[in-house]
Amino acid sequence: MSPFEIGLMSFGAMIVMVYLGLWVPFALMLSSYVGVWMIKGSPVLAGKLLALAASQTIASYFFGVVPLFVLMGYIVSVSGMGRDAFDVANHLFRRLKGGLGIGTVGANAIFAAITGISIASAAVFTRIAVPEMMRHGYSARFSVGVVAGSSVLGMLIPPSLLLILYGLLTEQSVGDLFMAGVLPGIVLAVLFGGGIWMTAHLRPGALGSVRDVDDMPVLSRRDVIVKGLPLALLIGLVLGGLYAGFFTPIEAGAVGCLGAILIGLARRSLNWRDFWQVLNDTGLVTASICFLIIAAQMYSRMLALSGVPAGFGSFVATADIGFWGVILAYVGLVIVMGTILDSSSIMLILVPLMLPVLSTMQVDLIWFGIVTIIAVEIGLLTPPFGISVFVIKSALDDPDVTLGDIFRGAAPFAFLMLVLLALVLVFPQLATALI
Amino acid sequence: QTLNVTIVAGHPPVFRWVKHASQTFIPAVNKALEGTGTTIEWSEQYGGSLAKVGEELEAVEEGLAEIGLVSSLFDPAKLAPQNVTYFTPFVVSDSTLVSEWMDRLQMDNADMKAAWEANGLEYLGGAIGIDDYLLMTNFPVNSIADLEGRKIGAPGPAVNWLAGTGAVGVSGNLTTYYNEIKTGVYDGVIVFASAALPGKLHEVAPYITKVGFGAQYAGGFAANKDWFDGLDPVVQQALRDAAEADRIAYHADLDASVTKFLEIMTSQGATVTEVDDAFRQQWAAGMDNVAKLWAEKLDASGVNGTAVLKDYMETMRAAGATPVRNWDME
Amino acid sequence: MEQGALPRWFLALQRWVDGITTGLNVAGTVLIFLVMLLVNFDVIGRNFLASPISGVPELVSMSIVAIVFLQIAQAFRKGRLTRTEAVLGWVERRAPRLRCAVDIVFALASALLIWQLYAASQPLFVKAWVRGTFQGTVGDFTAPVWPVKLIILVGCAALLVQLVMFALAAGLRLLRGGAGAS
Ligand code: NA
Ligand code: NA
Repeated sequence: MSPFEIGLMSFGAMIVMVYLGLWVPFALMLSSYVGVWMIKGSPVLAGKLLALAASQTIASYFFGVVPLFVLMGYIVSVSGMGRDAFDVANHLFRRLKGGLGIGTVGANAIFAAITGISIASAAVFTRIAVPEMMRHGYSARFSVGVVAGSSVLGMLIPPSLLLILYGLLTEQSVGDLFMAGVLPGIVLAVLFGGGIWMTAHLRPGALGSVRDVDDMPVLSRRDVIVKGLPLALLIGLVLGGLYAGFFTPIEAGAVGCLGAILIGLARRSLNWRDFWQVLNDTGLVTASICFLIIAAQMYSRMLALSGVPAGFGSFVATADIGFWGVILAYVGLVIVMGTILDSSSIMLILVPLMLPVLSTMQVDLIWFGIVTIIAVEIGLLTPPFGISVFVIKSALDDPDVTLGDIFRGAAPFAFLMLVLLALVLVFPQLATALI
Repeated sequence: QTLNVTIVAGHPPVFRWVKHASQTFIPAVNKALEGTGTTIEWSEQYGGSLAKVGEELEAVEEGLAEIGLVSSLFDPAKLAPQNVTYFTPFVVSDSTLVSEWMDRLQMDNADMKAAWEANGLEYLGGAIGIDDYLLMTNFPVNSIADLEGRKIGAPGPAVNWLAGTGAVGVSGNLTTYYNEIKTGVYDGVIVFASAALPGKLHEVAPYITKVGFGAQYAGGFAANKDWFDGLDPVVQQALRDAAEADRIAYHADLDASVTKFLEIMTSQGATVTEVDDAFRQQWAAGMDNVAKLWAEKLDASGVNGTAVLKDYMETMRAAGATPVRNWDME
Repeated sequence: MEQGALPRWFLALQRWVDGITTGLNVAGTVLIFLVMLLVNFDVIGRNFLASPISGVPELVSMSIVAIVFLQIAQAFRKGRLTRTEAVLGWVERRAPRLRCAVDIVFALASALLIWQLYAASQPLFVKAWVRGTFQGTVGDFTAPVWPVKLIILVGCAALLVQLVMFALAAGLRLLRGGAGAS
């Protein structure tokens, strides 16, 4: 068998094992172990690939602060600020049907401005928003769907680690890329909010048995301030500090964490037992997410050795199909690869392959970057391998909500991302106007 | 006979040295092997597909790849002697010269040779030189006093270069410089021109000061030693020759673009200042002798750091360099 | 899982193993807290005292690997590793013993895999120990990497034991007719 065939087969085997119920990280590891064994003809080399990936993949400052972004969300949640945020959101959007869902999208858009990774948004809002929405009668499927969908805003609205990676790959200015992400990010948030609003009007059943907000007590101005001020302080600390240059986006998680702890202590709403509990939970979420990322890295290294992604890539690059043919085929390929691979792997494999093709066609690489990010992020929501969905599942820790539920809940949002992608393709100004 | 060879680089092909691996090194090997009865089937794994930056050494050592562009800069513990240039700033600004002589030292200097072998590697050549490091800031630098209290980002070992200037050295990396200068986390960075323009750093740090930190050696081609030792001598020689051809082509390309890049940055509003000798002397004299510290630490760990330092400095002086500070003679 | 369905000796063994797993988990949790403090001290030192803490990126990047491997066994035990229950749930309703058998196969295959990971990681620890490999920059900050490589081994071993216990529990349930599967 050729390495290419081995790669395809181990991909197929991985999918089957995931569906049969093998733990996802072990399915990825097993298919990479056997795949590398067959490609290189040596079980020893296959073991070495696993060991190197295990010690290297997450050993970076960037991954080091993942638990702090998770912890910040937990502390905000456990000290009652999560509930406050949604009481305020409820109050602000109380005249709109589906207001809390829209509030979740808005809160996510704000949070996106202080985080560079979608998995942080997914983990944080699973803890804050899902219980709140379910408390207000939204169905579990819709609640997790909103969180999964709006978590992608984290990578589109700056700062964004994926945009940094793309800038590195293509020698484009990260500053320009950040600016280019702003409008599409806002448009996507509006599409999400508008979609929820329309659904609430046209097919209210799709959201669950949402209790009309009118039967909730309307907050007085004083209540809004009491509930909103701590949040405003925290966002002010994180955003203000970030844009005043006191710390980097990577460090923002740690500062936000400490800020949340201090606010929680000042409000006397954070006690030792809760704190130890969320610290422990943070560790478990971090371990399961990072172990999955390690396994995904093993798997994408095996695929790289098999030549499967490169084969697909050069097929697209060499087919004689004109500008739109190439762009659409590329977008299609990214989305297809997004079903099984993580975002950065897809970019690392495909973007370098496309660059020579693009330079002959005078493509604006900033615009192309935004197109790439949106297409790659759709993969966060598509089965069988959708990181955002997996993160939500492990952060939720509720056996009644299955992976299938979350994927189905996220599907409408993946569709709205396709709409945004089409808009950016047709109106490149969305990406380039602010630069 | 057909050999399957996996070649690995952590950086993507848009980086000049990776581009030349693909467009100079591999074709040169293939050409040399024409008519020898041996052909090589290449599997090119760049940009982190098999190993990320700093992971190339382990990938080649463990045999996952046969050849790698190994960045010694990112393996300061395992390839300690190779990092000598980063501990000896103000020696020479010509990257072509540095890389040519560093390649020779990899063969002649016992400790440098031993470092590759201790990691199961055979050094092939093809030194990756980095053009003269610059100070880029969002404020004009007329004297060293201007640096007092400023936060300057610098890559790993170059943080040491800032000690004694009054500036606050912060360990950072290329990927985040732009944003962190823009928001004010850093007031400037230590960076090289061939990375500064693509990163548009001159937009946020338009004051480019040519302090004369010097050109650096960042790594080169290395092969898995067990694999290399089992090769036909003809193939071994083809690989070495191709690495040398690669070094020459890469540096010709680099020199041409550095001049061009500085011009482009100037035309886009940057101010390039070259400091005078007094400034350079004052900076170098104000630093701790970090080279000596580094050499002593290596001595203590069984690598002859003092000899490496002396060998490097003497080699560069013999090649015509006039170091601002003779780190080995203090 | 219905505890009553399993023999006393097994529960005692499980308690003992879980104690160790929880201990590792606590160590990882403490490490997260320390990382948070460290990054904050660095930010404060850099901005207000003009003296950043050397080596924070290196310490943080080594800590995250340690955190993950200290906690991975506990994450598995608490059912935090993602798996889809679609087919398994269907199987369990119709043939509980088959479900147990599938669990045994999956857990043992995973255990074998983790054993391979352990075996291949062990030389990396030995090399780091023997050669004194460090992270950071001489003159600024250096830290040895062997503790992290050792923690990877410890974490793999703990995960391996939990996987075997999982298979054992499924085996015992299979013998008792598949009742009380988790
Ligand atoms: Na963001
Ligand atoms: Na997906």
